[in-house]
Amino acid sequence: MPMTPPGPNPGPLAAPAADGPIFHFNRDRDGIVDEVVDRELARVGGSVDALELALNDAAYSEITRLEKAGRRQTPELNFWRELHRTLGGKPLAEKEAIYRRLATGYARDIVGNFDLKAYRFATSVVPMGLSLIMRPQGTSRRFVNMNTTLTERVRIQGHVETLQALAKKGTVILVPTHSSNLDSIVIGWAIYHLGLPPFTYGAGKNLFTNPILSYFMRNLGAYRVDRRLTHGLYKDVLKTYSTVLLERGYHSLFFPGGGRCRSGAIEQKLKLGLLGTGLTAYINNLQRGAANPNVYIVPCTLNYPLVLEAATLIDDQLQQVGRSRYIIEDDEFSHATLVGRFIKQVLSMDVSVVIQIGEPLDPFGNRVGPDGRSYDKRGREIDLRKYVEVHGVPQHQAQRDQQYTKELGVAIADAYTRNNVIMPSHLVAFTLFQILKRRHPKLDLFKLLRLGEEASSVPLADFYRQLELLRDELLMLSEQGRIMVSGVVRKGPAEAITANALRSFGMFHAVPPLCRSDAALSAGDMKLLLFYQNRLSGYGLEALVSEEAQA
Amino acid sequence: MTVLDATGRPRVGVLGGGSWGTVLAHLAASNGYPVSLWLRDPEAAAAINATHRNAKYLPDLELHPGVTATADLLAIGRDCGVILVVVPSHALRETMARLGDTLDGSHILIHAIKGIEPDSFMRMSQILLEETCCKKIGVLSGPNLAKEVALGHPSATVIASGYQEVIEAGSEILRSKAFRVYGNPDVVGTEIGGSLKNILAIASGMADGLGFGDNTKALLLTRGLAEVTRLGVGLGADPMTFSGLSGIGDLMATCFSPLSRNYQVGNRLAKGESLDAIRSDMRQVAEGVRTTKTVARYARTHGIYMPITEGIYRILYEGATPKEALSGLLDVSRNPYEGDAAKRVAGML
Repeated sequence: MPMTPPGPNPGPLAAPAADGPIFHFNRDRDGIVDEVVDRELARVGGSVDALELALNDAAYSEITRLEKAGRRQTPELNFWRELHRTLGGKPLAEKEAIYRRLATGYARDIVGNFDLKAYRFATSVVPMGLSLIMRPQGTSRRFVNMNTTLTERVRIQGHVETLQALAKKGTVILVPTHSSNLDSIVIGWAIYHLGLPPFTYGAGKNLFTNPILSYFMRNLGAYRVDRRLTHGLYKDVLKTYSTVLLERGYHSLFFPGGGRCRSGAIEQKLKLGLLGTGLTAYINNLQRGAANPNVYIVPCTLNYPLVLEAATLIDDQLQQVGRSRYIIEDDEFSHATLVGRFIKQVLSMDVSVVIQIGEPLDPFGNRVGPDGRSYDKRGREIDLRKYVEVHGVPQHQAQRDQQYTKELGVAIADAYTRNNVIMPSHLVAFTLFQILKRRHPKLDLFKLLRLGEEASSVPLADFYRQLELLRDELLMLSEQGRIMVSGVVRKGPAEAITANALRSFGMFHAVPPLCRSDAALSAGDMKLLLFYQNRLSGYGLEALVSEEAQA
Repeated sequence: MTVLDATGRPRVGVLGGGSWGTVLAHLAASNGYPVSLWLRDPEAAAAINATHRNAKYLPDLELHPGVTATADLLAIGRDCGVILVVVPSHALRETMARLGDTLDGSHILIHAIKGIEPDSFMRMSQILLEETCCKKIGVLSGPNLAKEVALGHPSATVIASGYQEVIEAGSEILRSKAFRVYGNPDVVGTEIGGSLKNILAIASGMADGLGFGDNTKALLLTRGLAEVTRLGVGLGADPMTFSGLSGIGDLMATCFSPLSRNYQVGNRLAKGESLDAIRSDMRQVAEGVRTTKTVARYARTHGIYMPITEGIYRILYEGATPKEALSGLLDVSRNPYEGDAAKRVAGML
């Protein structure tokens, strides 16, 4: 498969898109909401058991949630209590009516918007304006188009042409890794830059509280996901909404990691619920005899030398309450000045953010070529219909389809591992952390994280030796296609790699993960060090750091 | 391709004419399914069709007339919706690479092979996924000495698959009054349990050969199962699988049966014969000899504590004597929790 050669992007890769269903989203919006609600009712309507289960489950889950949040007598809470109390005695038609009302309400809450004016504004005027603030340091140019700056600093590589080709042959679901709230902005820009129409995506409702961000997200096809709602009725509406959009040819963006990755590692446990809507849409398309039934899943990794929210994320991970604090309400991202400073600094660095586009997959996890066809691991073409046909007719089968989606999840996780682009900051953090771990074998993780500066000091010569060893192994793994490395990691001597990492770290983090003195390197913030080093976990590299590092 | 149909039963393919493949073909035919039994050797296939017996492996079993032997591999892919794969582990990749040209997404593949691919450390189902486009894949494994199943002694097996459809199809085809089929979604645990018990069978034969009693054997089997479980869980298996038929069940049948080839290898090594001498007069290599090497090396490089496997490996490949290696397992100076503690810490990072 041809790869885009390394080097800066040669300007916009394609003319901006001007067609695609997203451009007439507003016209279709009411029809989409109606279709979602109708499908939901077709599924549960007429069945007393299914309706009661769905409504009781929703009531129970909502009452629990609202009470936990300390609500006592709100109209919302009263509504659910009343429903819970009286549901059993209501006739079928009334249960259906309640279900319809709720489903409609949720669908309207979820549904996005698309505003051509906002789109034009965001893609042309905003970068110009922002460029005034974000002028790279040391340039004398007074006006720097942010598009140019992004073009220099964000590198899109990998299966780029295939992605562009597939967007014309079927519906694309882009599934990037997720570590920062900047991800959707960076991806949004990349999609524009590649000449693709905007992708719809579900964004946490909490992100819509920032008025500026909210304006753009709402008008550029983002739909709202309320992660506080955990009951089946809401999740079903959400999935059906996604399915309907996919069937209508809206390219979509899912973050299958489910929220930003807390540990800094490349995601391996993926959420399959929304991912499964790709297969559902494909089967529906076949049943309808749609002209372009195929759904393509394109994994990609977002690789930053620095992560804005690193400190909060790793704290959350370490408190091991990631699950309960699924939504972090207040982090670095809610401070506008911090975001501005971060973007400015990332853009002014001499390192790039790399978007690595992986090989596209079908809903069953097979690889897809630029021709839009699926191939097995031995390069034979696959007739996809055969996976879903029962007696020659395409059919849904819940258990089977769930398993197919599980296998797709495995294939995506594998693609993430192989398309992970290692930057100097990751390699340097990994080397130092592993040397310290090896030097203090008796310390558990939490004690290790409390190591002082003196105890964590490693002579530079030792450090460089270990780093070169790890780098050579990384190069070998990258030859085998099991990982990727950035240009500096590939070419630079240990000194240059380390200097590059120190420069990146020093730019943003108040206490950098590591510090350098004349002849030694020591940990600054061990937790941040852990965060950045985790990007290299899972490759079995730990064993390479040897005893000799114990000086 | 229609897979299951209550009235017009579809053709079932069986790859491999060893004793277990032959018995599975017979069971399917006895349930009214037309069966194509594939053998590599055309003469052996012709002989089975002429005599309705597999003279080489199961001379006493008269095969059900519904079994037809063939040496045409690709015909199996074209004609059969469900294919039971029972070729030796080292022949699987090449066989499936050829058969793969005739398979599509509707085919159901169920393998009954115990083994792990050396170097790649791939399980058999992973090889099936790599060499074909099929997804509906399962594994059949359990305490199933082929001769006893052929005699109709009550026995049971497990079919593990992520796809309920695969379990149902396999069960429909094979189950009978004397042969019960259980389902399990845990493919990894079922494959690991079935493959690694062969290592413990060598240890078991060795303990008997050294004249150790039942205490020693019980120790080897229980702690052996513990280390097999440890490896399996690391690979994503459900620990409960190892206490089921395909885990401890299979382990008991193999380790208590003096007829098992792996048991014999251990027994003769304990009595002072060399591995080469044993190999030279065994018609088939005991699968456990290969598995020991594959697993011990994997455990070493991945830091998994597997003292019994390590001991057998040292006997088979590094010249240790059975007595010192087995006694080494009981060395009290070594803290038995050491390995696990290290792993716990590593697991946190």
